[in-house]
Amino acid sequence: MTVAEGYRFPDRTFTVDPVRVEEFVLALGVEPEAGWAPRAGAPVPLGFFMYVTTYGADAIHDVLGLDMLRTVYGGTDAEFLAPVHVGDILTVRPQVTGVTEKEGRHGRLLLVELTVDYLDGGGAVVVRERSTTVQRG
Amino acid sequence: MGYGVGDRLPVPAIPAVDRMRIAYMAVSMRDPNPVHVEDEYAVACGLPGVIAHGTFVTAYLGLTVSRAVGVAAVRRLRVDLTAPVAPGDRLSTEAVVVAVRPAGEAADAGSELVTVELTATRADGVPVGRGTATFVQPNGAGA
Repeated sequence: MTVAEGYRFPDRTFTVDPVRVEEFVLALGVEPEAGWAPRAGAPVPLGFFMYVTTYGADAIHDVLGLDMLRTVYGGTDAEFLAPVHVGDILTVRPQVTGVTEKEGRHGRLLLVELTVDYLDGGGAVVVRERSTTVQRG
Repeated sequence: MGYGVGDRLPVPAIPAVDRMRIAYMAVSMRDPNPVHVEDEYAVACGLPGVIAHGTFVTAYLGLTVSRAVGVAAVRRLRVDLTAPVAPGDRLSTEAVVVAVRPAGEAADAGSELVTVELTATRADGVPVGRGTATFVQPNGAGA
């Protein structure tokens, strides 16, 4: 499929599982707050909200027609609109919100902006994360 | 204690991003991209070898802020990745307050919104991430 601005992925339910959050913090080797523990009700580390974690990089790349060999993660911009805790059940709603091409120092670049809304049980957006994936060539 | 313009947030001690941490992150994120775990694949991508997930840089900058003010106080985190991180790299982070203004959102009424500039740097001096974060603090706390 061609990368298309406005394309919306199907909603997915995502549970903020304490084991996965613990794995994330173990990988980093630094807790998000002093004395933090991965139990229900604990705050979720800020960097945890990325589409890869909550939706799956393979699914996103496949639908967008991106070649993993040529892509890199460019960055993120996350807004935290309401508290999220370990154990919360969220709805994940990714949408392609930008597709641009530009000439880089080493050739053509394709920049894909993905905006992922995380909604609580009442349908309110609690986190909005915009990320940029860059494909070379 | 509140923060004012020019203040620096405390710097957390960050361990080296070794291969085990990268493998753990791949599992945690369910990230299937071999560029983080297979050297041959990474070389085919034009890299010297595997690279760490950009999540490390984003998360270390995020926790630099959250360890200082608490996760619940953070309203925004923006990070642009500027260079790769290889296994064994040691990163340091910096967060400097550049603005303090009244919070506009009703939920944060009576608070100040503090903006910090963020930088993550490898031990060789190369910046690997730049960005900003905003957090709330009680009104007048940074005066």
